[in-house]
Amino acid sequence: MKKVIHMIATLTIIGIVAGGLLSEVNNWAYPLIVANQKAETEKAIFLVQPNGKSYEAVKSPEIEIYKVFDENKNLVGYSLVSAGNGFQGKVKIMTGLNKDLSEIEMIEILEQVETPGLGTKITEEPFKDQFKGLQTLPQINWVKGKAPEHPNEIQTITGATISSKSVVAIINSGLQKARELKDKGAL
Amino acid sequence: MKANKTLGYEYIKGFWETNPVLKQVLGMCPTLAVTVSVMNGLAMALATTFVLVFSSLLISSIRKLIPNQVRIAAFIVVIATFVTIADLVMKAQFPDLSKALGPFVPLIVVNCIILGRAEAFASKNSPFRSFLDALGNGTGFLIVLVVMGGIRELIGSRTLLGYQILPNGFEPWLIMILPAGAFLTLGLLMGLANFYVDKKKRSEREELIQKYRKSQNDVEVKGQEA
Amino acid sequence: MDLLLIFLSAAIVNNFVLSLFLGICPFLGVSNKTSSAISMGMAVTFVMVLTAIVSWILYFIVLVPFKLEFLQIPSFILVIASLVQFVEMVIKKVSQPLYRALGIFLPLITTNCAILGLALLLSMREYSLLQSIIFGLGAGAGFTMALFIMAGIREELELTDVPKPFRGVPITLITAGLLALAFMGFAGMI
Repeated sequence: MKKVIHMIATLTIIGIVAGGLLSEVNNWAYPLIVANQKAETEKAIFLVQPNGKSYEAVKSPEIEIYKVFDENKNLVGYSLVSAGNGFQGKVKIMTGLNKDLSEIEMIEILEQVETPGLGTKITEEPFKDQFKGLQTLPQINWVKGKAPEHPNEIQTITGATISSKSVVAIINSGLQKARELKDKGAL
Repeated sequence: MKANKTLGYEYIKGFWETNPVLKQVLGMCPTLAVTVSVMNGLAMALATTFVLVFSSLLISSIRKLIPNQVRIAAFIVVIATFVTIADLVMKAQFPDLSKALGPFVPLIVVNCIILGRAEAFASKNSPFRSFLDALGNGTGFLIVLVVMGGIRELIGSRTLLGYQILPNGFEPWLIMILPAGAFLTLGLLMGLANFYVDKKKRSEREELIQKYRKSQNDVEVKGQEA
Repeated sequence: MDLLLIFLSAAIVNNFVLSLFLGICPFLGVSNKTSSAISMGMAVTFVMVLTAIVSWILYFIVLVPFKLEFLQIPSFILVIASLVQFVEMVIKKVSQPLYRALGIFLPLITTNCAILGLALLLSMREYSLLQSIIFGLGAGAGFTMALFIMAGIREELELTDVPKPFRGVPITLITAGLLALAFMGFAGMI
């Protein structure tokens, strides 16, 4: 009986000390972690909206979208976050859009786990630059193995067709939701 | 003098003789998973060493207070606490590294090296010895991770620590930074280590045999002289 | 459709052993006989599904509402350890043949990083309860498959003349590398 009490007491003391220590460390770390995440999102928002100076999150349960303003507080466009499945897993993209959602400013890949050297080319400039000034109406399309003919087309990467198609599909689905929100007057 | 030597040995043995990865075959998951670059390997090894050293130190200091039946549970709580501290500190101070290592920082808690050293060494030895043992094992782990990371980064993406080393004319072997490359590199590295050990053992044995023959000869020569 | 994707992703495309490197220790240790590989795989799958349920409840019902996410690692590992003990006791009481088949593998599971990895990944990806269960099932199936294939190959390997320094773990790792390469062919299915 004494042994059992000893056992329980030891474990309880260790547990309490560990819990107390962790909550102290967490109190110190938590604000820093939140700040890191915020800084990262902020960086991406302005990366795809080079003329942006300030932003405001749009409250919507369905999508993550930010209004971006210039120095005179005039709306320059939106930064839209959309995610979906790529070749091997989740791909998360930040898209900079103009005021009426008809043209893309720039895109940035926030997260991806594509095949190194092939699928990861979606994070490189030659692919991302295709989206600069791309028309989004009626929707973005891709072409394979030839130069794009229409202002709403991009060319897929050789050896990473599925990754490229996924990027287009993810942006299109995000755009779809953003347009619905715009139609409702929430943007 | 002798005491000093054995203390030094507690530290040194982890480098090669009882190297956690190559000899004890422990901690394989992080060794394979995070070594796509030197930096990742280094960060992972340092985080593991931090947890290993502090939990060994603490466990060996309180080893006499813990009842034998609940020791594993107590060890796990101690280890999990230090892992959480490492995880929080990395998230707060090095967010990029923490993202690159993903779930493998929390997974240090089930790295068999740590529980293995706690159970096999720290629970039986003095804090100072346990500290040296943990540091040695951590360093051994670090050596393997950095070598793995170096090989895979150099051949797989032509760089070392992010700086390009190999010329553009060299087509990077993508397989090296894919999962398959991890298995192949570690397999070859372990084979090489075994080969080296075998060779050393064989030459030692030959040396012994030669010594023996020589002494036999000496005896014969002496006998003839007599 | 979503659930099917999660299952296939966990079982094949992002196979726990061959592409996420989780559960390498049992993969190297218990993969020399096909029969023990299957038993181990079943035990792991069973514990994975239970872990998925319990850790989902723990994380989303207890830790998140009380802002105790920082206790995730210690609480998960303790829950898994007690779960494995509990399962062992129940199996022993309920079915002797099952206990004989799975029993010796259960204690090994506590330190299997695939189980804790599963719990961490499902909280990271914010899966729903149903998604978590399917994820556990898929991960278990993938683990069993990798273990079974590996055991099959190793049974053949015993009959071949492997260079001495490569016998044992090194040749197993190289074989696993080739398997991982083969599994890459599944990428893009999703």
